[in-house]
Amino acid sequence: MMLTSKKLILRVAVAGLFLVVVMAGCLLIGSQEISLRNVLQGPMMDGVPNSDYQILVGIRLPRIILAAIVGAALACSGVVFQAILRNPLADPYILGVSSGAGLGSIIAVMLGWTWTFYGLSALMVASFIGAMGTVWLVWTIGKVTGRVHVTGLLLAGVVVNALFSAVIMFLSSIATASKFQTTMLWLMGSFAELDQISPLIASGVIVLLGVVFLMTLGNQLNILSFGRQDARSLGVPIERTCFLAFGCAALITSVAVSFSGLVGFVGLVVPHAVRLVAGPDHRQLIPLSAIIGAAFLVLADAVARVVVAPAMLPVGVITAMVGGPFFLILLIRYTKTVHWGNA
Amino acid sequence: MSFIEMQNVTFAYEQQPVLKSLSLSVEKNSFWAVVGPNGAGKSTFLNLLCGQLKPDEGNVHVDGKPASSYSSQQLARMLSMVRQEFVPVFGFSVRQTVMMARFYRTSSLFENAEDIKAVDAALAATDTTEFADRPLGHLSGGERQRVFIARALAQETPVLLLDEPTSHLDLKHQIRIFDLLKQMQHEQGKTILLVTHDLNMAAQYCDRVLLLGAEGAFFQGLPEQVLESGQIQSIFKVQGYQGHLQKRKFFIPLGRFSMDRPEKPA
Repeated sequence: MMLTSKKLILRVAVAGLFLVVVMAGCLLIGSQEISLRNVLQGPMMDGVPNSDYQILVGIRLPRIILAAIVGAALACSGVVFQAILRNPLADPYILGVSSGAGLGSIIAVMLGWTWTFYGLSALMVASFIGAMGTVWLVWTIGKVTGRVHVTGLLLAGVVVNALFSAVIMFLSSIATASKFQTTMLWLMGSFAELDQISPLIASGVIVLLGVVFLMTLGNQLNILSFGRQDARSLGVPIERTCFLAFGCAALITSVAVSFSGLVGFVGLVVPHAVRLVAGPDHRQLIPLSAIIGAAFLVLADAVARVVVAPAMLPVGVITAMVGGPFFLILLIRYTKTVHWGNA
Repeated sequence: MSFIEMQNVTFAYEQQPVLKSLSLSVEKNSFWAVVGPNGAGKSTFLNLLCGQLKPDEGNVHVDGKPASSYSSQQLARMLSMVRQEFVPVFGFSVRQTVMMARFYRTSSLFENAEDIKAVDAALAATDTTEFADRPLGHLSGGERQRVFIARALAQETPVLLLDEPTSHLDLKHQIRIFDLLKQMQHEQGKTILLVTHDLNMAAQYCDRVLLLGAEGAFFQGLPEQVLESGQIQSIFKVQGYQGHLQKRKFFIPLGRFSMDRPEKPA
């Protein structure tokens, strides 16, 4: 069946509705029970601050929106990296983007930077620079191996990832106890650091625009997944498409990682799950993965908030614990239904 | 004026010469076979034509301009390419795969009625309609080959480049594809360059033959001039029997029936 604009809008709308339901449900989940009736009273109730309202609107809602933004960004960039590299195992981690962001933020923590930049913390800015710097490094190394060759890019990503991970571990091991805890929480992925609304809006807009832009490259990504030679003879401008898709995916990944730290498995598991249900067409795979990725991370965060309440687990622990076995199940099912070939 | 022109083209892979001073003119509406042993540079020749490779020396012109001066989108309007065996990574269906041929025509994200019509026609012509909605990875090598031929047809270009398009096909489908190509040459004025190992199909269907040999040796011309017993034996290093059938040459490699081989005692 071919994809039409009507079908795409309908599917995105259904998935969007699912996301709204999940977000609304997760608003009510937490260590503190809250009453919806109280929330509807507004910020003040009987002349005193309404604690239920404060918890729901001031704490849970921004956190849930952030989880949705991060989930959408990671899942969407996972789809794009898999297409460009023609490798079902590619995700933001394989390419070193996440560890580059990680290194940036660890350096910010270690140096004790506390300044802010247009509402963004030093940690966020440093991780963003780390991610984009890694993209540049991986891209340059990949280019040296032969006109942005797929294997070259992949190997460059693996090497840079291993190198940066080692540096992160080294810096963590020489850090003081308080800094060590901050860095470890960040490395495990967490939504704990959120005290302003403006970065949330900015990152939401960037990720939304990124997802829409990547969706417009859907046809090119479909063809690119057949290899560079085929893509060129079908009229795809290879270098330009790879650069735009890779750069945009890296941008939204770095936005996500700068907020949440290293949240694993979303970029790997969600694209495959969506592909199983909706097929491999990137025109719908990209928006649907973004929405389902958002819902997945909102759910995972809700679990992280309640499973050891009143304490909170880093969300990365949940995504890895759920994502790992889920991915194995997918792997077995997928191998039976799809011939992966020699990627 | 010929549509494709090669002038003194030399190409080597890391000092290993493949093509040496090859000059060739491909007229519009002609059907060329490119034959030769493994590693003689047949695929390299096609890749030079479609701008995937650049010659070390010499020029390749398509429609009067250097092939390298065209953007990939401009080339996709003129040349379509069927490559050798390909294994897909993701589970695209046959129809989705063939529809990709229409990408260069539109800036829209979605296909239109004309695209669907062209894809349906290409699927029907290659006998692939029955598995149009199956994933490409579930097909046999021969079925996949027909899908990629369908994709090239759906691209609707004046020139078709085909790299061993019938190597996995059974006899019926080999003939069907050659008949189809011949028909497209006559009815739609297509120019076709086809790499094949089947000398007899080349002799039967093609107007011109390029015979490539080791270290840049080549012969080109009419099939009856090029597919001549002595030249085949010198390029392929095999003996065979040459004959004629309906004014077309055929060649049977003798192999174990070679007269040089002593008969086993009964």
